[in-house]
Amino acid sequence: MTERERFIKALRREPIDGHCPTFELVFYLTLEAIGKIHPSQQRFDQWKQMSKTEQKLHMDYMADSYIEVAEKYHHSAIFVHPNPGDFENTLRLLSCIREKTGDKYFLMMHGDCTFEIPNGENMLAFSERMYEDEEGLKKEAQHRLEDKLRYAEKMAKHKGLLDGFALCSDYCFNVNPFFSPSMFETFIAPYLAALCKGYRDMGFYTIKHTDGNIMPILDQMVQCGPDALHSLDPQGGVDLATVKKMYGDKVALCGNVNCGLLQTGTQEEVIADVRRCLRDGMDGWGFVFCTSNCAYTGLPLERYELMNRIWWDEGIYG
Amino acid sequence: MSILIEISENVQNGRMKAVKELVAAALEQNISPVEILNNGLSEGMNLIGEKFKTGEVYVPEVLVAARAMNAGVQILKPLLTEEGAPAKGKVCIGTVQGDMHDIGKNLVKMMMEGKGLEVVDLGTDVAPETFVQTAIEHNCQVICCSALLTTTMEVMAEVVKEAEKAGVRDTIKIMIGGAPLSDEYCQKIGADCYCADAASAADMVVELCK
Repeated sequence: MTERERFIKALRREPIDGHCPTFELVFYLTLEAIGKIHPSQQRFDQWKQMSKTEQKLHMDYMADSYIEVAEKYHHSAIFVHPNPGDFENTLRLLSCIREKTGDKYFLMMHGDCTFEIPNGENMLAFSERMYEDEEGLKKEAQHRLEDKLRYAEKMAKHKGLLDGFALCSDYCFNVNPFFSPSMFETFIAPYLAALCKGYRDMGFYTIKHTDGNIMPILDQMVQCGPDALHSLDPQGGVDLATVKKMYGDKVALCGNVNCGLLQTGTQEEVIADVRRCLRDGMDGWGFVFCTSNCAYTGLPLERYELMNRIWWDEGIYG
Repeated sequence: MSILIEISENVQNGRMKAVKELVAAALEQNISPVEILNNGLSEGMNLIGEKFKTGEVYVPEVLVAARAMNAGVQILKPLLTEEGAPAKGKVCIGTVQGDMHDIGKNLVKMMMEGKGLEVVDLGTDVAPETFVQTAIEHNCQVICCSALLTTTMEVMAEVVKEAEKAGVRDTIKIMIGGAPLSDEYCQKIGADCYCADAASAADMVVELCK
């Protein structure tokens, strides 16, 4: 069974043998881990000026970065950040990874259309619109949905390249969601549900990510029908065992290793947290082991490798 | 129903236009600007802050309430100046160096202004010495440091050290907040207090300014 197949089985909450799958939404520590600059941190201002040969060399470099990270840490899935991000070059990068690895890995990209927590500058204006321009905001949400589905339709014509989308609009702070449950019901849920269904109808899987305390909107998120929920942020008070018990039969779960502890906890605390996460997540099927955010810039690599090593030794079914 | 209660309720419901009309009406009834501020506008904001702390309302509701309150305050401002009504305290706030996240910082700022505090907003990516120098120059009683990233929260320890170096550690309080922080971390770096949410932070600062 390939890593891709194992990952898909986890998303479908089907039994698998051997290791519980793992991946990272982003693995920024590429320079330290494999000596390569992360693709999203490269700039290609002169891309169009480059010869096809040079462009191909860059594509190979980026594809190799993703593949080497996946191989080194036994990831089952690769989150691709196309750079340059236009459709043609996205296809080239995905094709390049497929040419080098076949169907070994599950490939995913960003694909959310739903509103996220606005930045500090726009937060008041956005909040005002929820009160004073409900129809306008809904219309905008619908346009965003249609744009994403159109893109996915184009992508679906290139069979065998992309497996799914990560839906990364953040909804929640540590204390509570930004959107109240009724706001979520009005401005997010209909579009999230339509997006998940639209992607599924085209053969794509969906992993819905958000940081923070999802509990007040968790039921609605699950009802929207993503294949998996990602991050399950312990810093937002999300308890993996509780979520598993409540929704483990409806949605796969990814994440929950405490990034705060990875950064500042003692070695003993990290080890205990990783073991807790494996124990609670692997109880039943439908679990993908990973951090509760990503391997972000500034995270000590040795801490990620510690977490990965424990998973390798202990994250085995049966 | 008292017009002050009406003002409070309309603040809580984020009805800016109604708040403006009611504040004007209250002034016509010869209610003092300080009373309108304290028992109408701020009262409404305090109540919404309490509801936020208990999870009854969410950030957008707090924001539109703050907008409604500020609309009322704008009407009162010139009159409050005439009456010489003092601010409840003065603080500076910013997101620490290396961190560009401003959502939490802006929420805390808004809640503090709702409590009648004067706030110097230093924005994001603020160096430790800037926090301290600003607090000294503006006679701030509290420095409020925000961080979203585990990688930048350690700058907060530098702010504490910088305040010690400048000889103001005993006179200026340091409050910290942000997703990766905890009371334990606050104690570890020697800051004065940690708050988990914007409403608690505003309450705490009012206490610290007393």
